Amino acid sequence: MGWWQQIGQSIRRNRSLKSLVALFLVGVSLSVSMAACTGGNASNSAASPADGASPAAQKDVELTLVSYAVTRAAYEKIIPQFTAKWQQEKGQNVTFNQSYGGSGSQARAVIDGLEADVVALALALDTKKIEKAELIQPGWEKEAPNGSIVHKSVAALITREGNPKAVNTWADLAKDGVSVITANPKTSGGARWNFLALWGSVTQTGGDEAKAKEFTTKVFKNVPVLPKDAREATDVFVKQGQGDVLINYENEAILAKQNGENQPYVVPTDVNISIDNPVAVVDKNVDKHGTREVAEAFVQFLFTPEAQREFAKVGFRPVDPAVGSEVADQYPKITKLFTAQDMGGWDQIQTKFFDDGSEFDQIQASK
Amino acid sequence: MAVSSLRKSSPPGWKSTLGTISKISWPWRITIGYLSIMLLLPTAALFAKAATESPANFWKIATSPVALSAYDVTFVTSFIAALFNGVFGVLIAWVLVRYDFPFKRIIDAAIDLPFALPTSVAGLVLASVYSDNGWIGSLFAPLGIKIAFTRLGVGMAMVFISLPFVVRTLQPVLQEMEKEIEEAAWCLGASRWQTFWQVILPPLMPAILTGVALGFSRAVGEYGSVIIVSSGIPFKDLIAPVLIVQRLEQFDYSGATVIGTVLLVVSLLILLAINLLQAWGQRYAD
Amino acid sequence: MPTKLEQPAGHSFGVSQQDAPDQERAWVKFTLIGVALAYLGVVLFIPAVNVFYEAFKNGFGAFIANLTEPNFVHAIQLTVLIALIVVPLNTVFGLCAAWAIARHRFPGRAFVISILDVPFAVSPVVAGLMIVLLYGRNGWFGPFLQAEDIRIIFALPGMVLATAFVTMPFVAREVLPVLEEAGSDQEEAAKTLGASDWQIFWRVTLPNIRWGLLYGVILTNARAMGEFGAVTVVSGNIARKTQTLPLFVEEAYKQYQTQAAFSAAVLLAALALVTLVLKEILERKTRIRDAE
Repeated sequence: MGWWQQIGQSIRRNRSLKSLVALFLVGVSLSVSMAACTGGNASNSAASPADGASPAAQKDVELTLVSYAVTRAAYEKIIPQFTAKWQQEKGQNVTFNQSYGGSGSQARAVIDGLEADVVALALALDTKKIEKAELIQPGWEKEAPNGSIVHKSVAALITREGNPKAVNTWADLAKDGVSVITANPKTSGGARWNFLALWGSVTQTGGDEAKAKEFTTKVFKNVPVLPKDAREATDVFVKQGQGDVLINYENEAILAKQNGENQPYVVPTDVNISIDNPVAVVDKNVDKHGTREVAEAFVQFLFTPEAQREFAKVGFRPVDPAVGSEVADQYPKITKLFTAQDMGGWDQIQTKFFDDGSEFDQIQASK
Repeated sequence: MAVSSLRKSSPPGWKSTLGTISKISWPWRITIGYLSIMLLLPTAALFAKAATESPANFWKIATSPVALSAYDVTFVTSFIAALFNGVFGVLIAWVLVRYDFPFKRIIDAAIDLPFALPTSVAGLVLASVYSDNGWIGSLFAPLGIKIAFTRLGVGMAMVFISLPFVVRTLQPVLQEMEKEIEEAAWCLGASRWQTFWQVILPPLMPAILTGVALGFSRAVGEYGSVIIVSSGIPFKDLIAPVLIVQRLEQFDYSGATVIGTVLLVVSLLILLAINLLQAWGQRYAD
Repeated sequence: MPTKLEQPAGHSFGVSQQDAPDQERAWVKFTLIGVALAYLGVVLFIPAVNVFYEAFKNGFGAFIANLTEPNFVHAIQLTVLIALIVVPLNTVFGLCAAWAIARHRFPGRAFVISILDVPFAVSPVVAGLMIVLLYGRNGWFGPFLQAEDIRIIFALPGMVLATAFVTMPFVAREVLPVLEEAGSDQEEAAKTLGASDWQIFWRVTLPNIRWGLLYGVILTNARAMGEFGAVTVVSGNIARKTQTLPLFVEEAYKQYQTQAAFSAAVLLAALALVTLVLKEILERKTRIRDAE
């Protein structure tokens, strides 16, 4: 009883204490209300999974999309189109939570408990890791059109102005005095594609494994730095001015051009890898949230011409044939295009090339 | 002031202490509870996960060449950065305490900037300043010295974030040191150099060491700024925290926890040394 | 080359010195000041100025446009919210811990203080990793949290935990020396006069430690708003949900929106400056109080 008066006195005496106490009380009340809110949300988002089939429920629904960095520009255009369409057809509001980051770290986050409904990652290897964690049921590749590949790209070689080192083909990267920048395949999904492109440029044109290893080792001898991800690699090349050539996605090169970073690039057309980006519904999470219907509809929507057009706008090669012919002149034609399947499939690729102590580590160690 | 400093050396009565411990007052409860939930439990989880590896395997991961080079980059670079700041920190503290010059107050306040500036911002800025076409990097580029995206850049980031520690631990000590001592030494015919080495430096040493050690331990743990300034190349400028993140991104949890455990234990040992050092310094002062 | 010595000026605080050593030292003084300022310039000032330069390079219009972007606004709100939760938590804890350690002598005291310091020295990444190991889907509490549908990681609670971990030591470490300095005489005197524990705390202890406490709070707040490493591991980086300002900076940078990144960086840097100004005001107050 007595000490309340004393607090009052000391507050009157001391303004800063007053603000401190106020801050404290605000903090406490906020944390309480926050707890209440999150509790409310949790029960909300877990809305009755049982009656997910009845479309009558006008309840708002939330979808969480987890994707990798460069797709952001496209999804920001596609999502409003989809929500408008869904609203029109089903009379239901869909709000999207979006998270973008490196493909590998995004996959890790989903496995660790980031409750994604839909994952659109840079390579099937990352999606398969989520499958191994039993969040996605096997056979997801067959659930969407086109083997669940939602857009494609190829590897491109970004050069300096005027291409002084005359780099036009994969073989040119192994030349003495050509400094090559690529991200680290250990951490970057994109860089794995680059590595496979190098290796496959030999094996897919009649060379044997030993020759492929020799060639790849030679190229990596020309690599002075291995940045963490594609963006950092681009920075090292553009902003730091390091290296003569940067290996990157073709879509990144096109996007950079749109952003006013005018970097000349060549796409090796004699032989190149088809960079296939898969999309999948995370079964366990959609069943938990009761969002399977809308998640699957969203994935289907990504294959419609209007969505495919948006992907094409940010530099991806569309998988829809109609849209493909619209923008055909944007993309050089590849004579010998090979896929991850041609390289033996993802499981084999991972163990053979990228696990600890496998080919890539040996190549690095022999530098 | 004098009275309280007399009290410092004599601990409060043992009887009352024992009494309070046996009763366990609520501050203790809060302290122990909070520490357990927030610190001990997570640490236990880390150790437990690391312990799932067999000792041989643990040792193998902890001493793999990549890990060893990461420790080397982390600890050696931090140490050099801390030493740098040790030397210049003494100088800055000295200048700020002893001399008057324009804008002194502003400069004094700005010393704390690395404390307050978020590390990701620091990284962003250091990368742009020290890159080949940045403000400072462009001065060194013609000489063939690259700063950003090399170990030098990592070192600069560490220097940046550990700068305040030496200055801030030294300032109060310098302020308390009477000028008269120097002047006395001076009168007795000691040269300026001798005065500095034999009269001024010894009482400052504990504070300098503490500051250097604090700066060092802060630099060892730094992540946000280094990740932007370094290129993360193994055997070149890959620091241990970045290695942990790389391991995580490869789903190698045990690898990440093993290296995390090594870092944690080393940090704890360093801290223990710092706190013993401080206790020693206080005794010295008394 | 000592010249004749004058009376040492008793209690003048190194401002207008007339004594020989200082006259001798004019060139030394300027060299030292020059070197110190040059070092600070390269390490500190040039980078600090660069943030503002980059943000306003394209004029104020671009800067203002960035500030009103919804993702950015949400990032600010979340950053402030986390700080509002973490700062009081760590203030209460810091006060209790500092009091417990300062007022008791027990074996292993240095060790307890060292444990308290761990979050300060251990890499924030490791802190994030610990939270994942505890609350992640495969963590210790993962199955339980899944069953109860409680979201901790990749939601606000996880980010609060990570931030609280990283900023834990500041208040305790700032208050501890002040408490030790003050001694327990006054508290014991109040006790013998029959004051309750609360009364002692509010009327005796708190006034003694208030500046140290506020300084600790300010540091905690600065660190909480700027935390990146630990939060990045446990946030999931969902725009408008779990994206704090430092994460926004990083993502904007990665998305080639350098301008947006630097705009956010300026805001954070401005926060840092406000923090410093507050601290400076506090120190001035402390000085005045000490002078009295």
